[in-house]
Amino acid sequence: MTKDKRLAKRHRSEKIFKFYGLLSIFISLLFVLVLVNNIFSKGTSAFTKTVIETEVFYNQDLLDLEYGASKDEILDADFFDVTIESLLLIYPTNGLDEEKQLINLFSTDVEIEIKSKFLNNNDFIGKKVIIELTASDDIDQLHKGNYPRDLPEDRRRISDFQLKIFDKLVENGNIKKTFNNYFFTKGDSRDPELAGIGGALVGSFYSILICLLLSFPIAVLASIYLEEFAPKNRITDFIEININNLAAVPSIVYGLLALQILLSTIHLPRSTPLVAGITLALMTLPRIIIPCRASLKAVPPSIREGALAVGASKFQSVFHHVVPLALPGTLSGTIIGLAQALGETAPLILIGMVAFVVDIPSSPIDPSASLPVQVYLWSESAERGFVEKTSATIMILLSFLIVMNFLAVYLRQKFEKRWN
Amino acid sequence: MKEIKIKSINLNVFYGEKQALFDVNLSLNEKEVTALIGPSGCGKSTFIRCINRMNDVIDICKVTGTIEMDGFDINDKNLDVVSLRERVGMVFQKPNPFPKSIYDNISYGPKIHGKGESKSELDFIVEKSLRKAALWEEVKDRLDEPGTSLSGGQQQRLCIARAISVNPEVILMDEPCSALDPIATAKIEELIDELKETFTIVIVTHSMAQAVRVSQKTGFFHLGKLIEVGKTDKIFKNPDNKMTQDYITGRFG
Repeated sequence: MTKDKRLAKRHRSEKIFKFYGLLSIFISLLFVLVLVNNIFSKGTSAFTKTVIETEVFYNQDLLDLEYGASKDEILDADFFDVTIESLLLIYPTNGLDEEKQLINLFSTDVEIEIKSKFLNNNDFIGKKVIIELTASDDIDQLHKGNYPRDLPEDRRRISDFQLKIFDKLVENGNIKKTFNNYFFTKGDSRDPELAGIGGALVGSFYSILICLLLSFPIAVLASIYLEEFAPKNRITDFIEININNLAAVPSIVYGLLALQILLSTIHLPRSTPLVAGITLALMTLPRIIIPCRASLKAVPPSIREGALAVGASKFQSVFHHVVPLALPGTLSGTIIGLAQALGETAPLILIGMVAFVVDIPSSPIDPSASLPVQVYLWSESAERGFVEKTSATIMILLSFLIVMNFLAVYLRQKFEKRWN
Repeated sequence: MKEIKIKSINLNVFYGEKQALFDVNLSLNEKEVTALIGPSGCGKSTFIRCINRMNDVIDICKVTGTIEMDGFDINDKNLDVVSLRERVGMVFQKPNPFPKSIYDNISYGPKIHGKGESKSELDFIVEKSLRKAALWEEVKDRLDEPGTSLSGGQQQRLCIARAISVNPEVILMDEPCSALDPIATAKIEELIDELKETFTIVIVTHSMAQAVRVSQKTGFFHLGKLIEVGKTDKIFKNPDNKMTQDYITGRFG
């Protein structure tokens, strides 16, 4: 082979390699794009909800309330009749069945909505007020265009009569979409239009907080001891191998451990962020220790020697020089560990976080949901309303993860010293 | 004749199974520069790292024999290694300033030894140390810039200033110029010449010329043994040992 030919061959193989590299990047980006597109196309509609503008008549006789009634009196009052009377006025009905169909256009909480509006403005008494009432999930989905209308009636969730009312409402401009505040403020519910991730957000927040408070100090102290102070012998080698093994243990095993020890033996309260936080901390410990040790190891020995040579004790050389230099790497490792913990589902299912919890937890020892488990729960529901909420919850979860990972990268790039 | 500052008696050093030094008997005179020469891996650095017990850091390192400083054994159990290193400073092969400000680099030592109680005392120590290390004029306007932003030669003088800052009696230098260019090297050598008025200096070097220029006494190591030691003039002009002769004339090493 001549020299020219050999050279051409070398150039060609380089080009082929570059092409394969680009191709693999392209394919992985394509997968990400498909995933994101899928989630967004399903999930974005969950951030809006359909409301029906309804004229509510706070009839004094039906309410049996005086002017300037106290809060307790209002809470005790029965708003059922006022609600039914007002709702029935939006469209003429004939018979109980049609009345029922009309009322089913509204969410199951419609009476509570009317009552809470009155609680904030108790001068409404005896007046007619136009209020935006949350529509039922079926109307919501119909309005968002997710339900086909051209099916025969017995295969639709919405009757012909309801469709007629709906069309009338659209014609009069009484039906519209607004920001779905319930999605962020309410806990779980059997009714999709009333279900929200408020409880899951608070639950996840408490869990991650407990996880951080437990795992960070333990992991950092363990890493510093192992890396800087522990003698290098068989025992420390054994510990090192096992820390790496623990990081690879499937998370469900930690769930089983927590179930046996935290719930069955210590009797901590079931399905609470406290137990979730401890379980996630166990899982996160090795995942923080590994990057923490790596960043301690990356501090060059010359820095330690420099400190020792001016008469610093071992402790001083470690805590004045080595640890501050390893801190950015440690923090970014911690954040990535927490991001993994935030998305962890399996161990939480085992400790009972799959329970149906409506209330938003007020402390870490209240039963609670968490974001990934909420995704799991809703993904099993058939209603179209839960499908969009599943994707929307994934969007929220992913945005937390992206922010955390971005923070980790930022910390590392901004503060980490480079050694040449 | 100057007084003996440090004296090693039958010093043996082992790294695990491997013996690095064999029965080294060497004395270093006060306020004088002693150069240690020899081919790579001959034990020069190991020897000076015994003087401030830097070898303690290495788990597998074992030292037998004694090193006396002013007549006291530095390996004595009652002697705190921290106070030993306060008296015996060290400058390393590669400049290793802390990634902190120039000021913090110098003030760190005095601070941990409680030598600078107030800010003004520390300021004084920092200026004095930097002046002694012939660096003051170059850095006095940027004391809060990181020490790592200086040039290689300046960094090494910063490290010398750091060693001086705790006011030691002895300064150990482990090939301090091997990472520097000739101009920076010349400056350091000039500095060493001035420092020997105040400190006892031991310098490990691969440069024969440097040993001749800066030292009054030279020791030649080979394979962990001290082959010959004597006045620098004598070692380089008229060595007793054939091996020393071969090494300084460049026949091996």
